[in-house]
Amino acid sequence: MEIDGNTVLLLFVFLFILYSNPSGDGVTSQYEYIQLQTLKAQYQDEFAQFGNLSHSSNFRNITGLKLSYGDVLRQPDINATYPIQGKDYDHWFTDQNYTLLPEAVSDQVNNEIWATKHNVFPPNVTSTLRGRVVNSHDGFLPMPMPIPEYYEPAQDLIQNRPSLSEPYVADPGDYTGSHNITFDEGEIVMEIISTDSTSSPLEPEKRFHNSQSDKWRFLHLEIHLSDLAENQKHSISTKAIYDIRNGRILAVSESAKFHSLFALPHYMNLKEEDETIYNEVKTLVEEYWNATDFFNTRTMAYLQNSYAAANSRCEFLAFLQLEPWWGYSKEQIKTIDEELVWPLGRRANLSSLPPINVSSGLIYSPDCGVKLHMNNVSGLRHELQIKKMRNVLLLGALLLASQIYLLLRQMHHTNTPSMVNKISYWGLSLMNLVDGALAIIFFYMTSSFAALFQPLIVCSFACLILASVFEMRYMISVYASQANERNVSLFTLLRRSTDGDERTAPAVILDEASISSSLYRSYIFKTFFSMIVILSMTTWPRSLRVPVESFAVFVLNSYWVPQIVRNAIKGNEPRRGTTGNSSRRNQNKPPLLWSFVIGTSVIRFLPAAYAFSVPSNIFYHHQDRPFVALVALWLIFQMAVLYSQDVVGARWFLPNYTIPDGYGYHKAISAGELLEHGSSENYTIDCAICMTDVAVYVEDIPETHKVDQHEYMVTPCGHIFHTGCLENWLSYKLQCPVCRSPLPPL
Amino acid sequence: MSLKRITKELNDLGRDPPTSCSAGPVGDDLYHWQASIMGPPDSPYAGGVFFLSIHFPTDYPFKPPKISFTTKIYHPNINANGNICLDILKDQWSPALTISKVLLSICSLLTDANPDDPLVPEIAHIYKTDRSKYEATAKEWTKKYAV
Repeated sequence: MEIDGNTVLLLFVFLFILYSNPSGDGVTSQYEYIQLQTLKAQYQDEFAQFGNLSHSSNFRNITGLKLSYGDVLRQPDINATYPIQGKDYDHWFTDQNYTLLPEAVSDQVNNEIWATKHNVFPPNVTSTLRGRVVNSHDGFLPMPMPIPEYYEPAQDLIQNRPSLSEPYVADPGDYTGSHNITFDEGEIVMEIISTDSTSSPLEPEKRFHNSQSDKWRFLHLEIHLSDLAENQKHSISTKAIYDIRNGRILAVSESAKFHSLFALPHYMNLKEEDETIYNEVKTLVEEYWNATDFFNTRTMAYLQNSYAAANSRCEFLAFLQLEPWWGYSKEQIKTIDEELVWPLGRRANLSSLPPINVSSGLIYSPDCGVKLHMNNVSGLRHELQIKKMRNVLLLGALLLASQIYLLLRQMHHTNTPSMVNKISYWGLSLMNLVDGALAIIFFYMTSSFAALFQPLIVCSFACLILASVFEMRYMISVYASQANERNVSLFTLLRRSTDGDERTAPAVILDEASISSSLYRSYIFKTFFSMIVILSMTTWPRSLRVPVESFAVFVLNSYWVPQIVRNAIKGNEPRRGTTGNSSRRNQNKPPLLWSFVIGTSVIRFLPAAYAFSVPSNIFYHHQDRPFVALVALWLIFQMAVLYSQDVVGARWFLPNYTIPDGYGYHKAISAGELLEHGSSENYTIDCAICMTDVAVYVEDIPETHKVDQHEYMVTPCGHIFHTGCLENWLSYKLQCPVCRSPLPPL
Repeated sequence: MSLKRITKELNDLGRDPPTSCSAGPVGDDLYHWQASIMGPPDSPYAGGVFFLSIHFPTDYPFKPPKISFTTKIYHPNINANGNICLDILKDQWSPALTISKVLLSICSLLTDANPDDPLVPEIAHIYKTDRSKYEATAKEWTKKYAV
């Protein structure tokens, strides 16, 4: 092989990509290496200090815990560099001279929040809680919480050592921007995740073993705050300790400016100031630290994320008090817990299990000076919520199955081209759009709800079958039966004629194979498009999302409108007005089965009604009963119009002058036409279908005037057949048997 | 309806028989006919007589009749089972077509094969690339099976 300059260059590029790849801890430069080493050394040092701490001594050089609220109050421009002149490091009291909390906040925590003592609480509180928060606007002084300088990214490529000093940020008013909480009232979502099974990424087999799991639990709390209009959103990831005996939770956020793990024992001990509590929580934190190899496993990504978090949001301490489960004994709760995790059919009576309620809760941000109170925060236990979702999903699958059944009956009802021709393609495609998008959304949800994999897959599969097999099949045959109308104007359709120069256009009638490939293409495109729109809609602010959603629900529930229009175009005659033989009445039956119309409306309305009107629905959808009632009325109105079209004729709402005369198959012919079609002396024409004579009504010849014009049909192309013969053929194909030109449907 | 029409076609065939073909029911069953086609003189099938069986569906003339060759024939559009690939016997069927018209269409298919829509691709390939070989084989088969 000849090696030229380009090959060498390519090789060089490959090697560069290969070797410049970040290693396990994500370090890509000397600067970052020193940054990470500094962080690890800092954590190690802080952990050593933490080991020496007792319940009665103050934090020393721990990031974020060097100052107290009292220090800042006394000396607003205080420098946080350790050691601080005149600070008492040898004692610890729960007042504002030692803690981050103003006197008012710690008093409130002690007297109002953590008021319940020694009761029965569920040990496992994994759940998602929802409720309201109110901003108290107390105007606390925001505390300075400097970010150590080694966290800063390099200024330029030449800098190879981070600065190790810790500057004091004199102006903490930096947090008035979008990341501060400024709303008066908002919503809170708290995901409580138990971390009893956390393990170190380095040694996965080394599990975090909580030796005091009957008293304390180590939790992760994901707190999401937003204002009511959802313009401001804050997500805070916190580590938390749960006191099972007292039902208290303390959660603290963590970032580059707040190494909060070490604060847990002191703040958990806020109320009792009891050495045992302090030591137990300290042991728990040390166990967690050792099991996760906390300082060894810090990576560059962690460093950068916590730097970004420190810059972009406030730090928080959350104090929660759970409502006790009155009337349950410890043994009962143990049984319930085991039954929820490993269902074996124990006598646990899960259906009457109370939700997890936060009876009182307070969130305080030291560096933003914000205090929030929680109201009505509650939620079902995770396992129960999953069970509820599973039941709802199975009901949904049942609805889908009955929709498939109804559609099959409807397809069977319209098994001839002339019946299929009366179905509206657009009404079907409106339903198809919803079903196709649902199938993909169900499938997408399996990735976030592993516990619901089976019911979600069942629903997704049922939707997919409904949308891409049955509905698509039906749409293809509807489309094919209407193919010769595609480039014909609406007016011509109303007149039911194909005369004039427009008739030359649909010379090539597409076959079903090419129709189905083009329909499937547009189906896949529309499905993905609507899925992306729906998924992105969930993140829109409420002021935009709610009107768009209501509009979309309303439009998607108008699926009978295209059918009403289609009926009017086809101009079905009223059912009662029909006279004549049974085959004619057959031609005039309504294209949609009533069981299909009513069943489909109910099946498609129920999920929307559930989401909009049941308060504790699994979608956490907002309540809007008047809107649901409006949609229901709209559906009933559509069905009423369909019914009226069936009873009094499909065009009753159109003024008479707008309805041109449709093409009439039954008409008199002229003597010229009689001659042209080679008739004999007894004024008859040979019917090409049954090959027998058709007596015709000829205008100019009085002898023929006793012939009933309904006995024969004249096509637009001038060919004449018996009424029974042609109607029979038209149910196979809308094409003239003699000259193959397209025929208007009956 | 179908019986009346089949009877009518049979009468017409008797009154005005086509030159190169004939058809009639097998036994008493009017829904099962047998037909014969003389090989067109300007084709390699000249001199042969080919027999076909015709089955009428009960909804005739709205559905096409099922027609197949019972005599072996070497043709790109007719396979070893005698099935015929002809559009008017499938989706291009029209109730105005009759058995005599269909038989005439088959006659002209014998003269002008349609190798672009073949039922037997091998024969179609030979037909397109080596016409003399195709004609020789067709003549040989005609001599062997149809004379």
